[in-house]
This record gives sequence, structure tokens and C-alpha cells, in this order.
Amino acid sequence: MNAGDVAVVVLLAIGVGSALLGAVGILAARDPYDQLHFTGPATVIGPIAIAGAVLVEEPLSSAGIKAVLVALIMIATGPILLHATARAARVRERGRWVIHRRELAAKEDPSRFSRP
Amino acid sequence: MNAWLIAATVLLTGLAPCLWIAMRGSIVSALVALELASTITTLTLLLIAQGLRRDPFLDLAVVSAILSFVGALTFARFLERWV
Repeated sequence: MNAGDVAVVVLLAIGVGSALLGAVGILAARDPYDQLHFTGPATVIGPIAIAGAVLVEEPLSSAGIKAVLVALIMIATGPILLHATARAARVRERGRWVIHRRELAAKEDPSRFSRP
Repeated sequence: MNAWLIAATVLLTGLAPCLWIAMRGSIVSALVALELASTITTLTLLLIAQGLRRDPFLDLAVVSAILSFVGALTFARFLERWV
């Protein structure tokens, strides 16, 4: 087992581990906003590590180029999807995306708007 | 069975929590679980293609990455406006 094989195994372990941690994380999180945080490592670290593993094994090949392409697509689309999902969750919850003046005031001084 | 196929098998177990959340959670939580499941599926396709040494199969991972983005974005827009 040479250095390249060891690097491939380490990169695969990092990629698979980050995706599995994300999967366990969404079970542990309380609400959709918390769960969204756990999709980050799976969509960024996972593809980078696995594309890196493919590149270590086959540096100049169509497989390496396609793996890098998949990683780039996932890194580019992940944050867009995260934002769209958070927006959908907030609009469903509050009925609007923009923050209301009353919400800001309640955040600054909760006692004024607290329920008896 | 090489390291790639073992990694793909281990990664597939990550679909079980996503399935659980999609069945039991709220509808927005289910969308989050769908997004994570599509990420895991795309990475698994990449690992299987590399493990079997079939370069053309890597196109499936590329197509899956693009289509899962479009699908999840459509779900997000529908959940925001109508459903």
C-alpha cells in the first residue's frame, strides 16, 4: 500500500464521514433552520474530498475532470438551495420574507411585547 | 471489493436518517432531508462509478447533481407559495 492509496483512503474517509455526520445531525437538530446547517459539510467537504480522492488515483483522466465538475456543481448550488429552503421555511412561518418593524422592536425589548 | 465500493456502501447508510426525517418531520424538514439525500445519492454514484472503473457512469453523477438542484428548488418555491 503506497502513499497514494493511503491518501485515497483518508480522503474517502473524510468525504464519507462528513456526509454521515450531516445525516446524523439532521436527526439531532430541533427545527428546519438548525437542520439546514448540517447540510453544509455534506455539500462542500464531501464532494471536495471525494473529487480529491479520484484526482489522486487518476490525475489526468476524464474521471478526474467529471469528479471535479460534480464537486463544482454541488459547491455552487448548495448555498443557493440552502437559502431558498430557509426562505421557504420563513415565509411559511411568518407569511413574509422581509423583517417587520414590530419584530425588530420585540427583539430589542422583549418585555414590551411579551404575553402575560 | 475495493475501497471505493466500501465507501459507497457506508455512505448509503446515511439515507436512513433522511428517510426517517422525511416520514416523521415537518414538511420543511422533509425538504431538508430530501436535499441531503440527493447529495448522498450523487456522491454514492460517483463512488460506484469509480469503484467499478466505468468512466461513462460518472455522467450519471453529473446529471444527478444538476437535476437534484432543480428538483429541490422547485419544491422550495412551491412550499413557499402554495402548498
